[in-house]
Amino acid sequence: MTLYDPHRINYPVKRTNPEKGVGVDPKWQRISWEEAMDTIVSKLKAVYEKDPRGLYWQATTVQTSEIRFAVPAFMKAFGFKNYWVSGGGLWCGNGAHFMNGIMHAAWSVIPDWNYNNYTIYFGCSKGHGAGHAALQTAQFVADARARGMKAVVFDPFLSTQASKAHEWVPCIVGTDGAAALGMINVILNELNTWDAEYLKLKTNAAYLIQPDGHYKRDTKTNKPLIWDTVDNKPKTFDDETIKDFALLGEFQVDDTKCVPSFQLFKEHVKKEYPLEKVSQITSVPVSTLRRVATEFVQHAQIGSTIVIDGKKLPLRPSAAIFFRGSQGHVNSGWTCLSIDLLNHIIGAADVPGGAFGHGPPVSMGYPDTGKPNTVPYPCPDGLMVVKGWVYDHKPYPLSEPKPPTRLDLHDMFPCSVYNAFTICSPDWEKYRKQFGIDYEPSIMINFGSNSVMTMANAQQVTENFLKKFKFIFSFNIIHNEFTEAVADIVLPDTCFLERYTPAVTFPSTFCHPTGMDHWVWQIRQPVVKPLYERRDFNEVMLEITKRLGIQNKYYESINNLIPIRYGGEMEEKNKLNPKGDYTWYEICDRLIKDRFGDGKGLEEVKKTGFIKWKAKVEETYWRWFVPVRVPIYFEYFIDAGKKLRKVTTDFGRPDLFDMSFFEPLAQWNPCPSHTNKNPEFDLWGFSWRPSFHTQSSTQCNPWLDEISVNDPFVYLIQINEETGKKKGLKDGDIIWVENPLGRKIKGPVKLVQGMHPQHLGIAGCHGHWAKGQPVSKGKGQFFDDLIIVDEAHTDSLTLGSDACVKLKIYKCNE
Amino acid sequence: MAINLKSNMIKYGIVIDLKRCYGCYSCTAACKAANNTPMGVDFAKCISGETGIYPAAQRQMLPTLCMQCEDPECKRVCPTGATLQNENGIVTVDKNICMGCGYCMMACPYGQRHKVSGWQTYFPQAKEELDAYQSYAKGKWEEKYGYGIASKCDFCMQRVKDGRLPACVESCPAKARTFGDINNPESDVSILIKRDRGFQLNPEFGTNPSVYYLPAR
Repeated sequence: MTLYDPHRINYPVKRTNPEKGVGVDPKWQRISWEEAMDTIVSKLKAVYEKDPRGLYWQATTVQTSEIRFAVPAFMKAFGFKNYWVSGGGLWCGNGAHFMNGIMHAAWSVIPDWNYNNYTIYFGCSKGHGAGHAALQTAQFVADARARGMKAVVFDPFLSTQASKAHEWVPCIVGTDGAAALGMINVILNELNTWDAEYLKLKTNAAYLIQPDGHYKRDTKTNKPLIWDTVDNKPKTFDDETIKDFALLGEFQVDDTKCVPSFQLFKEHVKKEYPLEKVSQITSVPVSTLRRVATEFVQHAQIGSTIVIDGKKLPLRPSAAIFFRGSQGHVNSGWTCLSIDLLNHIIGAADVPGGAFGHGPPVSMGYPDTGKPNTVPYPCPDGLMVVKGWVYDHKPYPLSEPKPPTRLDLHDMFPCSVYNAFTICSPDWEKYRKQFGIDYEPSIMINFGSNSVMTMANAQQVTENFLKKFKFIFSFNIIHNEFTEAVADIVLPDTCFLERYTPAVTFPSTFCHPTGMDHWVWQIRQPVVKPLYERRDFNEVMLEITKRLGIQNKYYESINNLIPIRYGGEMEEKNKLNPKGDYTWYEICDRLIKDRFGDGKGLEEVKKTGFIKWKAKVEETYWRWFVPVRVPIYFEYFIDAGKKLRKVTTDFGRPDLFDMSFFEPLAQWNPCPSHTNKNPEFDLWGFSWRPSFHTQSSTQCNPWLDEISVNDPFVYLIQINEETGKKKGLKDGDIIWVENPLGRKIKGPVKLVQGMHPQHLGIAGCHGHWAKGQPVSKGKGQFFDDLIIVDEAHTDSLTLGSDACVKLKIYKCNE
Repeated sequence: MAINLKSNMIKYGIVIDLKRCYGCYSCTAACKAANNTPMGVDFAKCISGETGIYPAAQRQMLPTLCMQCEDPECKRVCPTGATLQNENGIVTVDKNICMGCGYCMMACPYGQRHKVSGWQTYFPQAKEELDAYQSYAKGKWEEKYGYGIASKCDFCMQRVKDGRLPACVESCPAKARTFGDINNPESDVSILIKRDRGFQLNPEFGTNPSVYYLPAR
């Protein structure tokens, strides 16, 4: 369907209507590749010579395997820093990726379905057609379910995974972090249970904290101190003579009274997250929170061990996981951390049965070459640092808050993955001027993204952000709301059946979801030559760099990024020669040869489509094999917050964001939707994803559209049946759904039982209107139009966007 | 899975584990790709629904396909003898004999019979009449079934003869479907049915289906 879709873009086209905007007909005109490339290169050349900084890469997370080379390599070669994956703020994981990196050295976290017996899901569908390596994990979780693994799902609605779980716990959207902290309180202060050995040796729980919140450090080595309860004196955390670590108590070191960070954490959750308060926030009964916390601990079997491949390891068959639903809120970062701390207090991190870093944290490589290789290592304070990472700064140590250089101010913020509040705001220009950005947006290169539909209100994103670019060229396979609103030239890209991809998954080993099975490195190869005048994005970018005369820098950039993104230095003979001239096929071949050896180039790997090798227990269950700790107390946030505040104050914004988010102990903060007490707006709105749709890109597939039409939930606005009846609604009534800013959408309502009474759910990214997508046009509703992106709806810590909103509904009488 | 078709003892069956199924519709889409069914025709239809009262509500998917009944109503009512049953229990339609009376559609208690009046494109707004893929699919459909006559799932018999699994079985990411010989007590399907409380859908219809379900909980 994708390959032969008659609505595919088969030739380059240019916009002939000078007007841009949502719903505008671009009046496409077919042009030759020569004309397209001449125009693009001349525009790029002019900018390159004048000021290359104003370029902006916008890419899609749907095809992350395709953007590993061209995007970062072109940015370095051309000399600009502006980049985002559109929808990154909303649809991807600001809080999740940041926290997973700190706590698991990974992009994602999943339960170890091989041994897990009890998982608490917070707003995520991992293993149910969602998340990374979705199809592999579906099989793992089905196996676990079949052997009796229990799942408890916190979610405002009966989602895919909630419908497969043993228990659905309806909660108010965006309150997952509070629920997690309440349950931690139960575990630490009512059940008085924790994995002391794990906390002492694998976290900073024993580090002594001074009254000012900082570590008490050794005056000679500057290393954090702990209290040895046997020798009854302070020692540096890595002192080999330590006999036992104090986790609780108060200790005098020099003239300072210090307490272990675990003591502070335990007291903090007791004081701030008593169950009655948490129950009010989440709407989950106290008894349910207490029972789930108790079951979670009971299933963890703290103290139990298992022998795998001759290695004795802790067995902790309990896990708590999260993703989009719980992290897409103002408390994004802390919610992810709070949920993950459930795993760490019971020692269930990257051990059999527990929560797994997925992405992967530890790879010792293919036996012949030792690549891809990535093993985290400790910083001087003993905390874990990831070796390779997928974006420009690592999750830890934090990047230094500094005057921004990017158009979205991204590099000013120490914990941001992507940010939307600046560029999607009517005040974007004001932000740029206020924070000293002395250049203008010039050209946008778009790879497959549909930011008009995936970044909140379409009008706002288009008018305030996309229309500020003087020229936009875009690689697409099908026209969408973005191309029609703002693209000047659209190039016909190849689809997955027409191109080579040297590493399909992202990062390269998501194909190894969990357990002691094999590592698999997959490639993708064309089954047909590109049809019509379609050309592979990677080939086109190579030609653009050649025409610009920067291919030497482009090759060097590829040489430099492969070690970071694909685990390990390249051999000299496999590096691209800056004076050379390469096809995309040759570049793929060199990468694969370099990772797997001379006899395993692209020609060889094409025969099977993948390379696999056996996983080691030290890779899969790596936590106790790697000498690193993770924080339960974020001491380094204190200084990061102060430094960030200084930078924002220097630019005249001492009020930009709430620096109390940079305190060192886990916290929950409400979204604006939680503090909106206007009784008219009595429903919380959120979006959800059907397991068979991928962001905004699959609704135009007529098979999936047909399935969506036949499904009783996908194209309808779901509300609780009782709630609907009280409002005089019945199935099929057309209703208006309006947000506090007066923006509204309409559609048929579906009264259901699987919905919290105070909520309204709509499948995300539906309601397309592009002329180029007649199959999806007008089907379902465009929920994102209701979302508000501004400072108040942004996580002060990670800049994640808040995806929930208070709504009112009423019958549409038109 | 290679299955010895020469043995007339084989009775093909499919076991669908509702515990494993999470409702992704892969079977529906894979069946469309394998059988080239036109718009509106699903040999592997999934029925999604909700039961119970909040907060004890449940949602469950029921994947369906032709039950390949041992005593099929569709065969009983067929006035022309177009409905056949092979030695492995698979119910098929001889397109050259079927006259399209539609009795089988009314008789099948599981709603697994279809009649297509003409090819319906998935892309009605496209400029060209049919794209390359749909031209291919239309040709394949007409070769095997055609219009105005009965059509149905045959457990992908051609794929099975070629040593492959039915498309709905092969494509299931959760491995919720198992295909095999329900006459052989040692087969995976027989073991699953016996061990995991396998049941037939609406056994009261009395047709003895070859499709079994394993309970969701």
